[in-house]
Amino acid sequence: MNAAIETHGLTKHYGDFPALKNLDLEVKPGEVFGFLGPNGAGKTTMIRTILDEIRPTAGRATILGLDSHKDSVEIRKHIGYLPGDLAMYPRLTGRDTLTYFANLRGGVDWSYVDQLAERLDADLSKKVGDLSTGNRQKVGLIQAFMNRPQLLIMDEPSTGLDPLVQREFQAMMREVAADGRTVFLSSHTLSEVQRISDRVGIIRHGDLVAVEAVQALRSKAMRRVEFEFGSHVDASLFDNVPGVRDVSANDHRIALSYDGKMDTLLTTVAGRYEVVDISTEEADLEEIFLTYYRDEVTA
Amino acid sequence: MLATITTKTIADRWRAVVIGAFTVALFLVGGMAAYKSVDLSLYTSLPEGFRELFGISDSADAAGLAYGAIYGFYGALILAGLAVSMGSATIAGEERDGTIGVLLGNPKSRTHVLVSKAISTVALTALAALVLWAGALIAPVLLDVDVTGRLVGAQAFHIFANALFYGFLALAIGAWTGKPSLASGISAGVMALSFFAVGLLPLVDSLAEVARIFPWYYLDNGEPLVNGIQWGGIAILLGGSSIFAGIAYVGVNGRDLRLRSVGGSILDRLREDPRIGAVLERLSSSAGVARIWTKTAADHQALAAISAFAMFSMMGVMMGPMYAAVDEQLATFGQDLPEALMALVGSADISTAEGWYQVETFSLMAPILVMAVTITIGAKALAGEEAQRTMGLLLGNPVRRSSIVLQKTLAAGLLGIVVGIATFLGVVAGSLIAGLGMSIANIAATSALSVLIGFVFGGLALLLGAITGRVRAAVVGSVGLAFGLYLLNSLAALSDSLEGLAAWSPYHYYLTSEPLTNGMPWGDAAVLVIITAVLVIGSVFAFDRRDIRSTS
Repeated sequence: MNAAIETHGLTKHYGDFPALKNLDLEVKPGEVFGFLGPNGAGKTTMIRTILDEIRPTAGRATILGLDSHKDSVEIRKHIGYLPGDLAMYPRLTGRDTLTYFANLRGGVDWSYVDQLAERLDADLSKKVGDLSTGNRQKVGLIQAFMNRPQLLIMDEPSTGLDPLVQREFQAMMREVAADGRTVFLSSHTLSEVQRISDRVGIIRHGDLVAVEAVQALRSKAMRRVEFEFGSHVDASLFDNVPGVRDVSANDHRIALSYDGKMDTLLTTVAGRYEVVDISTEEADLEEIFLTYYRDEVTA
Repeated sequence: MLATITTKTIADRWRAVVIGAFTVALFLVGGMAAYKSVDLSLYTSLPEGFRELFGISDSADAAGLAYGAIYGFYGALILAGLAVSMGSATIAGEERDGTIGVLLGNPKSRTHVLVSKAISTVALTALAALVLWAGALIAPVLLDVDVTGRLVGAQAFHIFANALFYGFLALAIGAWTGKPSLASGISAGVMALSFFAVGLLPLVDSLAEVARIFPWYYLDNGEPLVNGIQWGGIAILLGGSSIFAGIAYVGVNGRDLRLRSVGGSILDRLREDPRIGAVLERLSSSAGVARIWTKTAADHQALAAISAFAMFSMMGVMMGPMYAAVDEQLATFGQDLPEALMALVGSADISTAEGWYQVETFSLMAPILVMAVTITIGAKALAGEEAQRTMGLLLGNPVRRSSIVLQKTLAAGLLGIVVGIATFLGVVAGSLIAGLGMSIANIAATSALSVLIGFVFGGLALLLGAITGRVRAAVVGSVGLAFGLYLLNSLAALSDSLEGLAAWSPYHYYLTSEPLTNGMPWGDAAVLVIITAVLVIGSVFAFDRRDIRSTS
């Protein structure tokens, strides 16, 4: 079976600026592939190149076994695409917008469209220009899903969606994969990609720095942890705890970066000090890059 | 330049303003050179009423004709058009772009924004007038033409005040409604109506005085070029502008600002009625999104309908009876008309019905209104979808790029033909009502040619959009060339030494053969068709080969 997406030495320069450098990537059929990178890393450039919106400076890509340039029209029969920073025709209603794209595809199953609209709680009767960002995004999602594509390519799809709708949308993506179809999901949000992807490609400054199974990435899931104690606690307390970095103390508070089992960290403090509060948050992507992929980036 | 709202607005717009004014100044040089090279003795024998219509002063000479025809006509229209575009963008433009929220998130009042932008409109209009003035002073020096007694500064000042009037009218409408297209549409409509009323009403003695109620009258009333600034007229124009500013002040402070809204058309309001809505849904909406070309046509149907209506009624039906009303006066000086003068408005003998229709309807307005449709669609066809960032979504569907170009071309062509058919029907009706007995086949031929000349420049706009992906480049380039090549054809007819150049202008293949009298010039029509075909094919190739823009 053909790879869903395959690129060989894909390179795109804007003038002197290399937006994409010699990218080799294979996305397998039936997986949800997360394409992760900070803003300006080259995610959108990669997507627009494989969709033949822009042409590579060097290298080539195939989608579903077809050449991304030569067979671009044939390819687009089998994909669903949601552009990043979605814009649509403001004067058309949601339903008119979907009708337009359905007509360009030679028709879709409208009962499925209604089902999608219901799941995402989308209002298709209003003009797109009068919708909020999130509600506009729902119309965009429906148009990407509505032809039951072999491959879904989505650029920052969760923009503006509230948490409930995000969860429904993530379930929809998993269903596509369960159906043997493929999802290519570009995002700068680690948690979203972790939650639903099978594998993740990480891009930075136009370089594909790593492709990992989500399990492997999760083991690197560094967190920022902040303790608030009932009294002053010395920062040296965490000196010998493996996985702890960048400890800073401020009065009754201690903040640190940590990757490892939360259990280890808790046993260090439990019973010995009065813990008033603990907060933890995901380390941001840049931090993970700098910690884990510094070598690949500078290479 | 980003220090204040005023300077930012000036920084955004000064180039367009200077290019517009500079182009007019260049044409002044061209016009003056052409007039200098022809024998002007015939002009002095023209009847006074006729001279007034075309802005020719009593003592016609190269300078007077050039200042009157190029500045008093094109210069005044272009400056007023620039002012309208600035005025309509003042508040309403920021609302359309969705930037008003960010702007007013700063500690600046609505009044501050309004006043700042109004000041920049005044400053930029003044800048344009100064460029005209400088051109008027330099041209005669370059060409060694005697301009004794010509007060070009006074003329430039009148052009400035006239432009400001329409600019501030647009400002007031935009401030009240928040809709830039409504503001520029109404203002341009008032301007066009006023322009024609002032040109045509004096032809009928009993109506001559009515012209005074139209603001355009004060542009040239009292001949500022000869007699200096006419303060009465200036007071009316600037007083009107001040009143509009006051109206804008009240409007902008008294209403809810719009969120990057799409507004509601008359059609939308009708749709709200369930019975009409069901019918309209069937007629417009579902048909409108059936294919790319139907959607494109549906998007621009309002523009085409207005253009078609204007051609049918004002330029078609009404011109017949109007000719019948003034034909005796026209006949008396029919023989005296110098060919050279008529060249500028489309050479034809206006003492005949065919000549009248050629000059009044076909020489300018028919191509302008067809081009309004074809250039708008052509420029937006590709570049517009890129600017709106919808091209990526459209190309996410299984459609070829060439199919997008061709379908949008089809839509532009069909709507252009609609305008042409309206012109045809209007002129036929005008001829029948006034009993002018014009050949229906020849009217059809001339209407068809007006569509073809519109296709040429629509095709040019399409090509420029296909190459650059920028709407502005496509519009400025095609309108600029449409204007420049029109003047080239007109001026080339004035002088033997320039005559060979006319063949380089598409307009040469439009009315030169006087199709209303002589029937369809098939060779000329073929030339226009071939130019259009080359431009469209070029667009397909250009668009197929380049990267799609993702930002505007």
